[in-house]
Amino acid sequence: MRFVVHGIFLFDAVFTSYSALGSLPPTILRPTGVMKLLPWSFYDSLQTHGGMLTLKTLMVVSLLLSTAGFLTFISTKASLLLVLFYQGLLRSFGHFNHDEMIAIYFMVVLTFAPCGDAFSIDNRLGRTKQQRPAFAYAYPILLMQLLLAWVYFSSALIKIRIAGWKYLSPDNLPALAIFHSLDNLHDTAFRGAFWLPHVREYLPYFVGLILIWEILFPLAVLFRRLRWVILGIGFVFHVSTLFLMNIFFPHQLLMYVVFINWDRRRKPITPIVVRR
Amino acid sequence: MLTAALFLPLFWAFLTVRNLYPVTAWNVMMAGGDLDRGRSYCILRGETISGETIDVAAIELTNALYSRNWTMVNATIDNQAFKLKSLHPQNEAMLRQYGSVENLPPGARIPDLLQAWGEIYNQREPESSPRRLKAVRLDMYRWESGRYADYDKFVESWRKEL
Repeated sequence: MRFVVHGIFLFDAVFTSYSALGSLPPTILRPTGVMKLLPWSFYDSLQTHGGMLTLKTLMVVSLLLSTAGFLTFISTKASLLLVLFYQGLLRSFGHFNHDEMIAIYFMVVLTFAPCGDAFSIDNRLGRTKQQRPAFAYAYPILLMQLLLAWVYFSSALIKIRIAGWKYLSPDNLPALAIFHSLDNLHDTAFRGAFWLPHVREYLPYFVGLILIWEILFPLAVLFRRLRWVILGIGFVFHVSTLFLMNIFFPHQLLMYVVFINWDRRRKPITPIVVRR
Repeated sequence: MLTAALFLPLFWAFLTVRNLYPVTAWNVMMAGGDLDRGRSYCILRGETISGETIDVAAIELTNALYSRNWTMVNATIDNQAFKLKSLHPQNEAMLRQYGSVENLPPGARIPDLLQAWGEIYNQREPESSPRRLKAVRLDMYRWESGRYADYDKFVESWRKEL
């Protein structure tokens, strides 16, 4: 999990133009949450070519170490702080996008878990301690699964609390989807939204099914057989929001890997090796 | 300990439906769409030195702001950076000049944003390229018909010469 979660943020850091981000004027920033604690003079120095180059260098080095599992105890903590700061900066320019948030929460769990004991350079170098009790490895995984389940479960309850039955109105989805398809400031420009008014009478059932799926998502933690159906619907749902609404949550979708039992996947390989 | 440290703030955010970074309430699209409520949206365009007007994809300019370019523009048009408790010194100075937030023109900082985007775009084009921009424009439209038609009623435009 450490390799996947830190690796995703490493990929982002490498392929993102920090210099372009640094060209944006600090006068349009609206620091959010803990980002308000930093003074404006700090943002003024950060929103420069040099400031962004420093941030990018620190992030790439730290994430490279934590992804590879080198000096894991320190590098996972450093990466968490840097990613937390960087994601806060992005949210201070735009809105509180939820896509990366679950991955940040996973990073918090991993920071306090023995995540460098197996697939890591530290392990290869013999720096890790003797095998700990199974609980030490299993509980962080369970915690991350519960966090992911909370994302969907709480999201459905908030929709029901705030919008009530109105959420099942036939115009809810088409109006929202078309709005997100009109500008050229979204990342993609798919036009699937304009097809939705033609099937508007069926959409309350579709929206209702998605709400039920979100409420039932915690069952993926409890029942292994049901898990793949729930995750499969999640995959289809997130991909469909890309084509219908030009909104995509790739980081959240990638966090589904927390449901893969890597130990079980590794087992069949062993007998093949023995037979050879 | 870790479980409590993670879930207690999450429960608070859920109960209050409030995001206080990094504490998150998953209130994504909680209100849903409303056909009767008008919505404004923007198209980013560039005027090339060869005289052509082209659509410019914001994500190609500031890819760091993945999924957030549109809200950055909306917030800037709404002068939200001038409504903070602690203002940026330059915004404070501008606000003193205008007297109050209400007196500010819509999108008081949009020219700065367009300037930054225009410069990022031109840095990626060769000096001799006819596709280099001489100006960047943000055109605002409104969909307020209450039906699935007439999506593009022109509202206003911001233009920045580079």
